[in-house]
Amino acid sequence: MSPDQIVREAQRLQHNYEFLSYGLTAAWLILVGYVLMMVSRHHKLQREIASLRAMIEDRPAR
Amino acid sequence: MRDKILMVLGVTAMALLARNILVIAGFPNEANQGAIFKIIFFHVPVAMAAMLCAAASLIGSVMFLLTRNFKYDALAVSVTEVGLAFLAANLVTGSIWGRVIWGIWWTWDARLTSALVCWLLYAGYLMLRRAIEEPTQRATFGAVFSIFAFIDVPIVIFSIKWWRTQHPQPVFWGGGSIPGDWYLAALLNLLAMILFGIVLTSVRLRQEEAQRELDSLRRTAHAF
Repeated sequence: MSPDQIVREAQRLQHNYEFLSYGLTAAWLILVGYVLMMVSRHHKLQREIASLRAMIEDRPAR
Repeated sequence: MRDKILMVLGVTAMALLARNILVIAGFPNEANQGAIFKIIFFHVPVAMAAMLCAAASLIGSVMFLLTRNFKYDALAVSVTEVGLAFLAANLVTGSIWGRVIWGIWWTWDARLTSALVCWLLYAGYLMLRRAIEEPTQRATFGAVFSIFAFIDVPIVIFSIKWWRTQHPQPVFWGGGSIPGDWYLAALLNLLAMILFGIVLTSVRLRQEEAQRELDSLRRTAHAF
């Protein structure tokens, strides 16, 4: 193998690792993003349920 | 009890994934493609998990139409949402892999196109549900749409057999010459994704229950 070929092979490997890390990061970001979206939706639902319950409990007392 | 089971499943999935990352990092690079080939250990399991989610959604939708029981509708919508996240991860990893090996981010070949259409169909299903207020109508239209959307799933799976595609033939479970420990790593990643999917679906199912409770509270509040 000539020095040029070794350099090219090293660059190809580096390029491959770079894209592998992009791929895995992007895929995990999608899944983690979905989990975070679910957590935020859960909190929103709990808040709305609590406020509606409080509203219903308050009304007959008026 | 249900919480504990979910916790155990979630921890098992994470432990399996962490173990697999270490094992896969130790595998030698594939002779022709180099390190990027290792993305297959994620790309294929998320695709399979997405297809399983689509099958579960089909079952939930058919069961809803047969029984009119809303728990099946909740199952269908929950599992579809989780499957959509898996399919998005599959499309993104595939695109990045294609950029390295084919030199392009995307091509309109049968496998890629049918997978994108599948993603769009299930995204359409979720959008359709958001557009309908009345719960019975929403569940019925959603179930019919989900059954229609499932037609694309066998096309995604068999497209590489039916047409000559740029996407390669199956490497795992398709006659490829993969070493045994690579098979095991892929299988364990698939198991981890399925466990992860079960946990996400269960959490999403609870949100559907909470949503129904919220709808009922809203009706009560309006009745005053």
